[in-house]
Amino acid sequence: MDKQYIARGVSRMSIKKFGLWMLPWSIMLILGAYAVYLCLIKGLNQTNMDNRFAFGLWIYLDLTVIALGAGAFFTGFLLYILKKKELKAVINSAVVIGFICYSGAVGVLMVDVGQPLRAWFTFWHPNVHSMLTEVTFCITCYLLVLAIEYVPVILKNRKIKQFSSMLVFEHELHKLIIVFAAVGTFLSFFHQGSLGGLYGVLIGRPFAFRPALGIWPTTFFLFIISAAAAGPCFILLTTALASKLSHKHLVTKEVYQMLGKISGSILIFYVLLKTIDTLIWINSTSPSLGFSAASFYKFSGFGTWIMFTEIVLCGLIPALILLNKKMRMHFAWLITAASLACVGIVINRFVMTIQTLALPTLPFDQFLSYVPSWQEVATFLAVLAYGMLVYSLSFRYLTLFPQERELESL
Amino acid sequence: MFPWVYGFSWTIGNIVFLGIFFSIVTIIGTTVLISLLRAYRAMQEHHAEAIRWESEFQDLPISVRRCRHVFTGEFKQRTCDNGFDCRSCATHAQLTQHKTTNSDDIEVPIHVYGFTMPMDRLYHRGHTWVMSEATGTYKVGLDDFAAHLIGTPDGIELPKLGTHVQVNGSAWCFKKGNSAVRFLSPLDGEVVATSDGSEGWYLKIQPQTKKIDTRHLLRGREVAGWLLREFERLQAKLVDPKIGVTLADGGTPVIDFIQSYPDRNWDTILGDVFLEA
Repeated sequence: MDKQYIARGVSRMSIKKFGLWMLPWSIMLILGAYAVYLCLIKGLNQTNMDNRFAFGLWIYLDLTVIALGAGAFFTGFLLYILKKKELKAVINSAVVIGFICYSGAVGVLMVDVGQPLRAWFTFWHPNVHSMLTEVTFCITCYLLVLAIEYVPVILKNRKIKQFSSMLVFEHELHKLIIVFAAVGTFLSFFHQGSLGGLYGVLIGRPFAFRPALGIWPTTFFLFIISAAAAGPCFILLTTALASKLSHKHLVTKEVYQMLGKISGSILIFYVLLKTIDTLIWINSTSPSLGFSAASFYKFSGFGTWIMFTEIVLCGLIPALILLNKKMRMHFAWLITAASLACVGIVINRFVMTIQTLALPTLPFDQFLSYVPSWQEVATFLAVLAYGMLVYSLSFRYLTLFPQERELESL
Repeated sequence: MFPWVYGFSWTIGNIVFLGIFFSIVTIIGTTVLISLLRAYRAMQEHHAEAIRWESEFQDLPISVRRCRHVFTGEFKQRTCDNGFDCRSCATHAQLTQHKTTNSDDIEVPIHVYGFTMPMDRLYHRGHTWVMSEATGTYKVGLDDFAAHLIGTPDGIELPKLGTHVQVNGSAWCFKKGNSAVRFLSPLDGEVVATSDGSEGWYLKIQPQTKKIDTRHLLRGREVAGWLLREFERLQAKLVDPKIGVTLADGGTPVIDFIQSYPDRNWDTILGDVFLEA
């Protein structure tokens, strides 16, 4: 029925099966839309956040998807700036994933602001001393860049490209894609960094506060490097998942291995810096602010196991696996390492957002626990559903993996 | 954000931060605008067909983009990155400069697996041929391989007289079952006659210049090598997945492959054979 819209040389499930696949995600999205409606109409009392716990599930989600979505800028940087031609096989998918992550994050932020109609205030009256202002500006610009990068992928749809004007515009836009890749890299560098930086400057939160290198706290640099390490791993995982679900070879083994190797190289560098940073924090920064580092880990559920899991189990170990050629060539190890690396980043963003706010810092403070309301969870799941819907539609009707046709014919 | 907006101050922080922001927005906007202007100009200058081919060619599988010099054994493995336009290919020029003009001349038709390829014409990689005529026009038709593959099409769309066709641009289209494919023109010129009658489908093209450059077209001995590879690729696609590879035991090709193998993925096969991504 929709064959004329599907790229030549690739096969897709029947429209009926596709409809069934989309149904649960659509229901999840509708439920999320209802939760968003409640939050916008009745206010943020629909959430379990308060003045003390102002960053909750949504901000955690934002930080996580923005870190995982870094694969878009980093793949673009490697392909168009450093000319790693092999990554052409995944760049379209990376752009779509980046677009989903960033648009999902911006969507949730609009709900989190509580009055999305006033979202423009941050642009009109910017506080140039706030890292969040930099984050807002950069994310908005980068989402625009991702939307523009998405356009050529859409215009190459089999049906759309029959219109000469569309194909010609796609061609001309794609010729200048290096500009967007460079702008995307610049913007990502600063907003990933500023997301980390905004925790690092919190002198009233000694668990997160870090000394400055130049004008930025060390978390600024750690967030950039960790996002660059996790991004290719997330692209690797999503490609493997799409391949598994569609029962197709989408890219060659070499592409998977290259993503793994790149990720491993950056991850080991990150683990080294993170270890140094943590040691300085334990031995100098935290004691100088009147807290022993151990005091932050005495609360149930937030023990030192989190630090071990984040840095060793989901940092050092996957980095070593990814850097080992023999293990990297073994697909199961590659996927395990990539999964661990992504989990490591997810934990890091959790620690920085939730653990930081949960820990008491004043003598009369208590350890706070926070459980998100169903409206928060439904909004969170809506972003997941939105991502699945957009990616599924893109996978069906657009050429996300140019090697697929070649591999299918083998 | 702007000097006239409440809260703005002429501080270094403001100037640097907003300066970078406005520069980024300007770069993004200007780049999109340049793309639009270039696209508009390309459409005005009738470059759409050339752009379409450039785009399609890059999306074709590597197995389809094999260099013609692989067919002659000059290379074991080489992929064309030049849109099959040997006229601007340095490697092709280098390989052919020492050949005498008649080294490839064969007068008798070549027969490969029952397909006949007369040698009084030149062949395009998209399975069309070109033959010069005494009147100064060029006749363009379908080769035997393509004719056997398609059999009798359900519909055919020939260009109107006076249409300008370009090398590797769309010349005419056909429809068979659920598939529609266009044929690529092997040369530039104006369509002065068409035929869809008993003589087969052909166009007559009047080139705009007296002498035409045909270096991109296949000729002589390389035609056999090319056709052999094309047939091998077709065979691989026609293999029944339940049976696997079989050994042909002679005979001649059927007239209508599509009708003979109705359950194959013809959309893909036709795209590969007629170079449409």
